[in-house]
Amino acid sequence: MIASLRYEFAMQLRRPSLWIVYGLVVAVMVTVLDYWSLDLGVYEVSAPKEAMGVAAQIVVTLLPIVYGCMLADRLPRERVLRVDGILDATPSGRTARLIGKYAGVCAATAVPLAIAYFGRALLYVFVEGQPSALGWAAVTFLASILPGLVFVGALAFAGPLLLPPMVFRVLFVAYWFWGNVIPASLMPTLSHTVFSATGEYVRYGLLTPIPPGYGRASAVLDFLRPGYTPATAWLWIGVMIALAAAVLSLVRLHASRSES
Amino acid sequence: MKPVDLWRHEARRAGLPALLGPPVLAALILLLAAFGTRLGSREENTRWMLMGALEMGVPLLSGMVAATLPGRDPVAELRLAIPRGYRPALLRRLAVALGCTGACAVAVCAALMASGWWTFAYGGAAGQLVWLAPALWLAALGFFAAAALRSTAAAASLVAFVWTGEQIVGGALADNPAYRLLHLFATTSWGSDGWPVNRLFLMSTAVLLAVAGWLLLGNAERVLRGEPE
Amino acid sequence: MRIDVSDLTKTYKGGARALDGLSLVVPTGMYGLLGANGAGKTTFMRILAGLLKPTSGRVVIGGHDLATAEGRLAVRRTLGYLPQDLGVYPDLSARRFLDYIALLKGLHSRSARRRRIAELLEVVALSDVADRRLKGFSGGMLRRVGIAQALLADPRLLIVDEPTTGLDPEERIRFRTLLSQLAGDRTVLLSTHIVDDVAQTCRSLAVLGHGRLAFQGTVSELVSQAHRQVWTVTTSGPAPAAGRVVSALPEGAGMRYRVVSAAPPDPYARPVEPTLEDGYLALMDGRAP
Repeated sequence: MIASLRYEFAMQLRRPSLWIVYGLVVAVMVTVLDYWSLDLGVYEVSAPKEAMGVAAQIVVTLLPIVYGCMLADRLPRERVLRVDGILDATPSGRTARLIGKYAGVCAATAVPLAIAYFGRALLYVFVEGQPSALGWAAVTFLASILPGLVFVGALAFAGPLLLPPMVFRVLFVAYWFWGNVIPASLMPTLSHTVFSATGEYVRYGLLTPIPPGYGRASAVLDFLRPGYTPATAWLWIGVMIALAAAVLSLVRLHASRSES
Repeated sequence: MKPVDLWRHEARRAGLPALLGPPVLAALILLLAAFGTRLGSREENTRWMLMGALEMGVPLLSGMVAATLPGRDPVAELRLAIPRGYRPALLRRLAVALGCTGACAVAVCAALMASGWWTFAYGGAAGQLVWLAPALWLAALGFFAAAALRSTAAAASLVAFVWTGEQIVGGALADNPAYRLLHLFATTSWGSDGWPVNRLFLMSTAVLLAVAGWLLLGNAERVLRGEPE
Repeated sequence: MRIDVSDLTKTYKGGARALDGLSLVVPTGMYGLLGANGAGKTTFMRILAGLLKPTSGRVVIGGHDLATAEGRLAVRRTLGYLPQDLGVYPDLSARRFLDYIALLKGLHSRSARRRRIAELLEVVALSDVADRRLKGFSGGMLRRVGIAQALLADPRLLIVDEPTTGLDPEERIRFRTLLSQLAGDRTVLLSTHIVDDVAQTCRSLAVLGHGRLAFQGTVSELVSQAHRQVWTVTTSGPAPAAGRVVSALPEGAGMRYRVVSAAPPDPYARPVEPTLEDGYLALMDGRAP
């Protein structure tokens, strides 16, 4: 499993296109969005905890799309390169290899995202002179970004196994927009529910106060939108991990069925 | 004029998802038009969603198709050795897939116009620019990115990012005159103010992107090298 | 169709030099191009097919200069090309795949196309399985589909890159016999690292080593490179230290070694007649730094 993880990590990390795409996207975030100022008009950004929360919100709204699309071709890669036979003949178990591959690919694809986030935190430390921002960045990343990436990674990893890659990409983008970005008042959506991968339950339940005026008009599926509390923050983390485990189990099941 | 048989082959190579996606989207839009209000959606909301599905859904499909088709082709080396065997063939595949998307979009527009859901200031042939301009632009972006980055995943990522990003920043940058030219979803974001200029600008920049992609794909050595795995 | 290559160099991005001042004349007929893996054969084939542009040097095929777009187009019109890694569309049958390639090559008349495809399927002995999907084809069958597609437009120049790699002995023999039969008044350029394929099919050949021309001439001239340099040694001791061991066969309690060496590798070594493989090894060993 470790060998598989290290190999997949290295292979994904050395793709030039991974860095080019993330580079372009971060450049757009800096120039067009408020990633430079972190001023979304909701917080006093001189407070490091709040500033890192805003940075996380911007990062997690847009970068998971790139994260998901860039790792969506990794599972079928062995078959495309015709190395699946060789790998199947190795003594490592299929489940261990699958988990290693998933972890390696997700970790590598998240590296540029983490660099973008912690780079902003470092810049904040230099500009504002508040080193505690780095600590808050680490906590925010681990608690509010990482669980979402664990789930989205599993989804993007498994999707092309069950659907044609092009169909999966369209559905993935549509899912991200519908399930994570659009306002809940517009249509029935998973946005702002515990199934949304944007991590707001942790940000507002554990880390920062709910922004002033951040109320929700009543919407369909409100039963999936409990209030922001520490308990719902932990619930959200659990839901993300459980969903990821469920998706990976499906992949393993699919592989077992195609073996027999 | 190429024989019908060749177009039939190219349609098959474009793939079933590229050909079935547009009719499925069209059917969903028409279902929304027929049953949206009965499902409890307010009329204005339904109208916005119908235009949104046209202006956003069709371009997303087109962009993903164009980002995917120039990707890994097992017969690329063979086709490159045939006169006009690579780029024109790729263009035919794109034409089939995007043509199918376009035909479905025209049909949906006609249905919306006939049923009274279409209240946008521009109708008829000009109204087709609601979906055509952003679809061409995202398709050209996908095509160019696939040619430049030699990676379907990377090209699809860029299309996905631009598609989502444009929806998020559309409101915030409404006062930026440069951005007003380049916003893909001007119909649903801002209405008809400056709309024709926006559409023309999108289509002309789409042509530039497509030409750049075409030129990049003319370099057989780049095509053969593919993306580092 | 004669091929004139002068001072051809190809350097890839990153500085790897695949061809280094290659000059060569390929006459009409079957012509072999031998070389170890990485010798620059595929790069050379791809330049001839117009897929790669040389860094410097000149290639003229049948009077058409590959440096010009018109020249490349004219050559491609007369070219049949079988790449080393022949990819196919696995969802298509052999007949449909050939139909698609024929259309790309400009065979637009449906009846003429069908006739030509049927003819070629017969030539490559695939008529019985013509309507089976290619994903079920063996390596040898795919190679034969490859040669059929290369012949679709009745090319004057046929370039086949490593066509017999991975084929079983029967397939290999069938394949190279087919290539020989096709030569006639065509130029068939057979690139391979399998010496026996050239020995069985070509009168003339060139040998590439590290992107340079190591030899150009007839098969018998290459064989003569090993004249008085091939020996057999039967011993129960270790393999001879001098020269290069070509083969080792158990014999009684010992081993019989075939060795290519300028001097007798052992006092009891017996000289034997060289083969093309011996000539190739003697040539490459003589050039080794």
